[in-house]
Amino acid sequence: MAASATNLNQKDLNQHIGLEGYTSNALALFMKHLDQQPQSRLLDVGPVCQENIRFFAGRVWKYYVCDMFIRLDRYIRKGEPAYQIWKELDYHPESFDGILVWELADRLDEQDVNRLVTLCHSMLKPGGMAVVMVMGDQVASSETRSFVMGQNYRIYLRPQPHLDLPLRGRQNRDVLSMMSPFIPAKSFICRPGFMEFLFQRE
Amino acid sequence: MLKKSKKANVEPNISASPVTMVDRTIIGNQIYIEGTIRGEEDLLIEGSVKGSIEMKAHHLTVGSKGQVEAEVRAANVTISGKLEGNINATGRVEITKAADFNGEIKAKSISVEDGAYLKAVIEMEREPTQKAVPLGKPDVKAPSESTSEPFVITGKDSKGS
Repeated sequence: MAASATNLNQKDLNQHIGLEGYTSNALALFMKHLDQQPQSRLLDVGPVCQENIRFFAGRVWKYYVCDMFIRLDRYIRKGEPAYQIWKELDYHPESFDGILVWELADRLDEQDVNRLVTLCHSMLKPGGMAVVMVMGDQVASSETRSFVMGQNYRIYLRPQPHLDLPLRGRQNRDVLSMMSPFIPAKSFICRPGFMEFLFQRE
Repeated sequence: MLKKSKKANVEPNISASPVTMVDRTIIGNQIYIEGTIRGEEDLLIEGSVKGSIEMKAHHLTVGSKGQVEAEVRAANVTISGKLEGNINATGRVEITKAADFNGEIKAKSISVEDGAYLKAVIEMEREPTQKAVPLGKPDVKAPSESTSEPFVITGKDSKGS
């Protein structure tokens, strides 16, 4: 991205990335799945976002938030190996009906992506689902942004200037490959260039 | 130090006693307390506390220098420092971007700023017929501040099972 979105107001930011929000089909299906689960448990790996806490905590029985973005950022800033962040995801196997991975995978190198995928596969219950987002070329930015849930699954991007994370720029096939332990349930290419993936554990 | 004062009537020599600000006690950043704190006035912690804190009708604030490892029962809780433990609040829990929180939250309302270092379990209390909280267009300014309306949450365990 040529310009820093941090210095732009929201209107300019939206124009800059060609996005006025978009409707997330993947999240709609994901929530439909969770709504069907008794006493559903959802894990959100961040970034922490008030609106998302409000939305998801209102929809599931227990909402777990463990912001891996800020943890990754802190380890990188301290010059410590990123793999240490995984000890934070110390949840029991088969704990969750759903995991919101967002675009975390696109901020990790191959080794850590594999660790993330292995953990997600372990933490999900059989039949559980994971949402993965990947920025397309049109909206890709090294700046980390949160996917903020609006009404009717409308998603907005909000810059997280406190986070300085690398962007790997993975493509569709890379995501499908890295998530190979899962069954690809659905994928969507959204108008502004986002790719949304819904994966399911067997 | 523990500080205690009353409105403008700050008594000059309350050596080693807590200082009360109107209706608030301050635990200073050089103080370490282990045990149970019970109180009938608001409390600001800038020091270290380990144990439990019970102040059901009052406001607990963990200041930016505060380090708390405790079970907390309070009316309202504001976290700008480090808190590890479970919160049971009858009112609002506010987690600022400077906060480092690890635990479970049970409260009537919560606000969380972007940038908070958070690992939490949140379980919303809902009326049987209540639908999901409606959302409007979110604030997508950067950097974001806590702007959202309160909502109900409760929490019990921190492990995913």
